[in-house]
Amino acid sequence: MYGARNSLFIGLFAVLIASVLGLVAGLSAGFSRGWWDSVLMRFGDIQLAFPFILLAITILGVISDRNSVHLILVIGIPTWIIYARVVRSRVMVERDKDYILGAKAIGASDMRLMGKYILPSLWTAVLVIAMLDFGFVILLEATLSFLGFGLTPPTPSWGTILAEGKRNILIAPWLAVLPGLAIMATVLAINLTADGIADVLDPKLKISIFRRLPQRELANGSLKDPEGKDARSIQPEPTDPNDNVEPPLLKVRDLSVEFPLEDKVVKAVRHVSFDVYRGRTLGIVGESGSGKSVTASSIIQLIEPPGRVTGGEILFEGQDLTRISNNDMSQLRGTKIGMIYQNPTSSLNPVLSIGSQMVETIRIHLKSSPAEARDIASRALLKVGIGNPHAILSKYPFQLSGGMNQRVMIALAMLTQPDLLIADEPSSALDVTTQAVVLERLRDITREHQTSLILITHDFALVAEFADEILVMYAGQVCESGPIRSVIDEVKHPYTKALLQSVPRAEIESGTRLQTIPGELPDPAALPPGCPFADRCVSVMDICRLVNPSQVRVGSHHNVACHLWSSNKNEEKIRWHIS
Amino acid sequence: MAHLLEVRDLKKHFASHSGFFAGSEKNTVRAVDGVSFTVDQGETLGLVGESGSGKSTLVRTLLYLDLPTSGEVYFDGQLLTKKETVWLRRRAQIVFQDPYTSLPPRMRVWEIIAEPLLIHHLADRHSVSERVSQLLEDVGLQTMIADKYPHQLSGGMRQRVGIAKALSVQPALVVADESVSALDASVQSQILNLFKDLQERHNLTYIFVSHDLGVVKYMSHRIAVMYLGEIVELATTEELYAHPLSPYTRALLSAVPSIHRDGRERIRLEGDPPDPANPPSGCKFHPRCAIAHKLCSQEAPQLKEWLPGRYVACHFALDSNHTARGGEVSGV
Repeated sequence: MYGARNSLFIGLFAVLIASVLGLVAGLSAGFSRGWWDSVLMRFGDIQLAFPFILLAITILGVISDRNSVHLILVIGIPTWIIYARVVRSRVMVERDKDYILGAKAIGASDMRLMGKYILPSLWTAVLVIAMLDFGFVILLEATLSFLGFGLTPPTPSWGTILAEGKRNILIAPWLAVLPGLAIMATVLAINLTADGIADVLDPKLKISIFRRLPQRELANGSLKDPEGKDARSIQPEPTDPNDNVEPPLLKVRDLSVEFPLEDKVVKAVRHVSFDVYRGRTLGIVGESGSGKSVTASSIIQLIEPPGRVTGGEILFEGQDLTRISNNDMSQLRGTKIGMIYQNPTSSLNPVLSIGSQMVETIRIHLKSSPAEARDIASRALLKVGIGNPHAILSKYPFQLSGGMNQRVMIALAMLTQPDLLIADEPSSALDVTTQAVVLERLRDITREHQTSLILITHDFALVAEFADEILVMYAGQVCESGPIRSVIDEVKHPYTKALLQSVPRAEIESGTRLQTIPGELPDPAALPPGCPFADRCVSVMDICRLVNPSQVRVGSHHNVACHLWSSNKNEEKIRWHIS
Repeated sequence: MAHLLEVRDLKKHFASHSGFFAGSEKNTVRAVDGVSFTVDQGETLGLVGESGSGKSTLVRTLLYLDLPTSGEVYFDGQLLTKKETVWLRRRAQIVFQDPYTSLPPRMRVWEIIAEPLLIHHLADRHSVSERVSQLLEDVGLQTMIADKYPHQLSGGMRQRVGIAKALSVQPALVVADESVSALDASVQSQILNLFKDLQERHNLTYIFVSHDLGVVKYMSHRIAVMYLGEIVELATTEELYAHPLSPYTRALLSAVPSIHRDGRERIRLEGDPPDPANPPSGCKFHPRCAIAHKLCSQEAPQLKEWLPGRYVACHFALDSNHTARGGEVSGV
């Protein structure tokens, strides 16, 4: 009983001393960063290099009458450096964040910054280390006592009892077992507690499951899409019988994608249909959560788990991509379908030069010799407007600008002359002037090879300039689609209309007030039963809140999902009833 | 009338560390390199430029959040020094770009908004909550969100909290550093209109930083265009968009995608912006400029007033519009 009290007491205070020392040292070092930081950290390094147990034994050996305080100081003080290092690195990360700058901007003093802003973010780290350290210190105390440098007998602790037991091991072997078990159980319990505390303390951990999905992918997540049938209902064939005799290269019908989460299902894409014709460009426009990126990744069957296609078909040259094998799909991805992502620098392999990445791709797909492959690579770079391809081939992605890397990505994707290229926000990470050049190159090269392009973006104007057809998405659904001029000049859906009027443009006369769309994007966890835009719509009617509108044809290839244009008999009947 | 803010030849250079032997002149990044301008009470100055142009560094430096390398900043006629910045924090505030990182994650909304009030002793424990609710209403938020943490709010709501926090000290100047660029299109317009309403209501002065030429046009009375740490053109919004005088401004404006491009030719800027640590000689834009002469690579043009109220840093600011005058200037 007394043994436990002494051991735990020593452990507790040793940890307390170490953590306070470490916290103060780490916080001040990380915050000041100057000479103070260097002095403290070098001192810590020296101390770490020194054999710690030997030092403890030497000091304790000198003291003849050892009590708890001696042990606490000798065991506790040296471990400060562990806290200090962790705290310091956390502080360095935190102090560069915008909210610290924001606190400075409101005139918060350095003390306030450290105490009120940075300190709260350190508790978790310090507590976890403290718990682990607690276990370590108890073991250390036991070790020292076992070796005879612990508390001066007859004061007991687990370590001294253990030592006692060793001496009597031949007579009474069970004597050493109990203190041993006690030490083991305590350390184990402490470590488990440490893990638990770490989980509880972080307020953001609770939503971590939710956050793991990239924000833009998160869309519609209602448990009850009340009338799945209603949303889908009649899908008018977008094809007009008179023109376009050629069948579409890509035909997406009634596509639905869901992300089952712990306690709900996020319906990211709901009954989406569209066609992409050979050599044409389809622009998909939407805000975050509209499902535009998920639609793209479902075409190439690369939806982030746990997402999955739950309905519909994706016909590429007549083949349903949702049903083919993984092998066939990766074959298609490399050759017939290309993909360009938003962030070119991270999409390229950072440890391989541009040349070796391109040569590898060429050799795999075209089965050419290394020399030939290099030649093809430099010609491909010339085509996307890179004037000195040989210099670029020997460079690594991090040595090039974002615009240059994106051009390399386009060259890479076009190497196999794919039939379909999907570009997901290809220019959003680029500057305006670079964006224009890159997109023009992309347009030229896809035209030259008769490649179909799906251009996914949040920028309506970009689609207006570079696409032939447009698909406007909101909350996982298509709200309007059609030829680009027709949609812009005869815009039908209130959302499309509002979107066009609410974005400030360089060409609009100054002095006019911007239209706004009231409210915010719908909560993916609580989607309304009717039209997802109903709550923000200026022309909202009663029926909009009850029934999700189906697609209606309003012009040549021009479709809209809105009750204002609905000719569906069923919906009309309901409307009649309400009014 | 005295200007609310006057910036004179402001410079901010960063030494890029390269191990123990740092400090050689070569590795200095001139993020802001000799910038001068004024802002009057009640006006909005737009600051536009591409990434790396130094616009964010400029506003942080002029607020003394980063200390300038050289140059002077006068606020209300008073010269700023690094010693006394507390009074400035009451007069000038900043709203950041990313509503996800710019609010302290472990404070509740009311604490965040109350902080400036408590720091500057503008309210006591009793009046604080009333003032906080008032500020929340001012930015169009419901007072019931006061008990929430930032991560429980949407991006648009967080940005409103950021604005309420900035307004709490009743500042004269508010700097908006890309404050709407992280927001979705449908939310962005709400925040822009909120900024406009608040300006009218509180007679605020804005410096509105953005890479988005549409946003800057909508918000600003006058606009300064930055390229590699320098202002290359400064003019009223109407004139800048109607008749840009600097070749860089022209290229920038023509690059913006438009919903109705009626055969307008786009000026293609070849090459990428140069490395700010190693800028070209003379005019920093000359390697990409369509009208560059020999002079441009030798001598850096100064920002000067070519026409009343129109400041341009280009040797040929007027010739590009009136080609007849070409020989006159290049003969310098």
